[in-house]
Amino acid sequence: MTGVPAAGSAILEVSDLWVGFPSYREQTLHALKGIDLRIEAGEMIGLVGESGSGKTTLARAIMGLVPPPGVIERGRVLFNGRDLSAQSDAARRSVLGRELTMVIPNPRAELNPVLSVGRQISNIAFYHLGVSRQEADRIALDMLRAVHIPDPERRFNAYPHELSGGMAQRVVIAIALVCSPRLVISDDATSGLDVTVQAQVLDLLQTMVREKGAATLFITRDIAITAHFCSRIAIIYAGEVVEIADRRRFFARPGHPYSIMLLAAFSHNPALRARWTRAEEIAGATPSTGCAFASRCVRRQTRCLNEAPSLRPLASGHAVRCHFPVEAQA
Amino acid sequence: MRILRYIGRRILFVIPQLFGIILVSFFLVKLIPGDPAVMMLGPTASAKSLMELRDRMGFTKPLLTQLMHYLHDVVRGDLGTSWQTTQPVTEDLFQRFPATLELISFGLLLAILIGFPLGVAAARLKRGPIRKFADYYGLLAGAMPDFWLALVLIYVFYTTLNWIPAPLGRIDMAVLPPEIITGSMVIDSLIAGDMDALWSSFGHLVLPVLTLGLINAGPILKMTQSTVERTLDSDFVRYADMCGLPRRVVLRQAVRAALPSIITIVSVLYGFLIGGAVLVEIVFSWGGAGQYAVQGVLNADLNPVLGFVVFSAVLSLIIYLLVDLLYFALDPRTRA
Repeated sequence: MTGVPAAGSAILEVSDLWVGFPSYREQTLHALKGIDLRIEAGEMIGLVGESGSGKTTLARAIMGLVPPPGVIERGRVLFNGRDLSAQSDAARRSVLGRELTMVIPNPRAELNPVLSVGRQISNIAFYHLGVSRQEADRIALDMLRAVHIPDPERRFNAYPHELSGGMAQRVVIAIALVCSPRLVISDDATSGLDVTVQAQVLDLLQTMVREKGAATLFITRDIAITAHFCSRIAIIYAGEVVEIADRRRFFARPGHPYSIMLLAAFSHNPALRARWTRAEEIAGATPSTGCAFASRCVRRQTRCLNEAPSLRPLASGHAVRCHFPVEAQA
Repeated sequence: MRILRYIGRRILFVIPQLFGIILVSFFLVKLIPGDPAVMMLGPTASAKSLMELRDRMGFTKPLLTQLMHYLHDVVRGDLGTSWQTTQPVTEDLFQRFPATLELISFGLLLAILIGFPLGVAAARLKRGPIRKFADYYGLLAGAMPDFWLALVLIYVFYTTLNWIPAPLGRIDMAVLPPEIITGSMVIDSLIAGDMDALWSSFGHLVLPVLTLGLINAGPILKMTQSTVERTLDSDFVRYADMCGLPRRVVLRQAVRAALPSIITIVSVLYGFLIGGAVLVEIVFSWGGAGQYAVQGVLNADLNPVLGFVVFSAVLSLIIYLLVDLLYFALDPRTRA
């Protein structure tokens, strides 16, 4: 749908990916409905969507770890030319944590509570880089220094519960970058932090990723975050990409009513917010035949309820899934 | 340093705990029907001699005075005399406790060796024969009385196959027991290098240990399975999987995180078995502490019962202290 894939440089290629969660009683719930996404080597792309839109499922599917009972129903994910979901457990484990890494949102719960943080970084180096334990420890200490953790020698032996949230987030970044990966997926990574700490951690993540030359898929609920450093922005709604554009183009001329609603939500102009937010959604479930966003859309017309729009190019590098995209200024 | 202070505080706290335990058990024991004087002098004794004996043993004094006397003696390490053995209770218990401890220590060791690996395997494999076996085993071990299993084992291995010496005590009458060092006959024979004693004591130990091991593997299996299952499902294991750590490393981390619960169930079982193995002791004529206490209850011989309670209480308190120290070693979050 996004055209002929260019040869070579794509680090991640998601094409027509459908992931469903079968249920005994009801119909299968489709978390992802035909996602197309392409990330070039070294590129930073922001993926924005509200909770339940399929962001995390997409991250898991890229790693080849769709949480059960979910299944990939159609399409495929190629990381560096390989389909991770089709590989053996051991082969997948040799890619994850080394070439494809993850920055998680809630590190104090997800780091191992009984291992020191230095040890947890060192473990990644030890098992993925094939270095000696001493060397792995040295690398881990360097990483603690690189993520600006004060007094790294002492913090090496600290346990996760002894660190602040921002500090723990830095440890997770160190874990994600210790092996110089090709692609880093950041899944709502800073959502639990104070705004000031969040800015620091984001700056750090961005700098570190640039240094290592990794591509980044930056998944977030907060569209403002992506404005600072993502080169492209994709908006996901109900398991579909509804708009994708270069950053400049996206913030200058957003095309999808949902994107504008997200942007307007950050505006200080109440009139603008009101104009793009429906006071009440139409009753009943989203019509299965029409546009998934129709029930919340301020520009809805009859066609939207009956016919699902496809992702159509609006300009070069800018595609929108809408029958009536906003063409001019927002 | 902090650990030492903690141990010191815990040991200090043992004193009021012990006092409470003695207080409760003293009055409970006094409630047991049966007159020690009648038991000692027999049914034909005259009322006058019964009165005299009661008076001499202090049973005519008010209960509180009796308690004060008892506490006064306990503080000096005197737990009174058993009229059945006519020996000081402390001496009797120091003879019998090692027998019980040898039995339940080896029994629990076997239970861990069976229950722990089986539990980990069952937690890892959600279906398949191992999981089925573990499920049935847990059910069976929970439902089966230990004395019954003991009798079946005796019937099979002694009566029918005759592989094992008669279930009478810890060592053959004809074999000289080794010098007491640790209190475990098997280990003491090993230290003494006495092969006859080793072989005989080992033969006597096999069936009771097998009984306790097979039965108590059940709860250990269940606890291991459920906690490892939970840790395998936890956030940090999922993250470790996302980081591509090898499968065996992730499993090791999950098992490590489950250890505190498993240690807890083992320590509870140990404390329980000090008195709870008494039926197995009786079936094998083991001559352990539990058996001694039950004899005391049956014959209104009060000092052994109280002495047993005091000994078990001290031992349990030591075990729980050890468990707390193990928690410290295993989980940094408890070291605050």
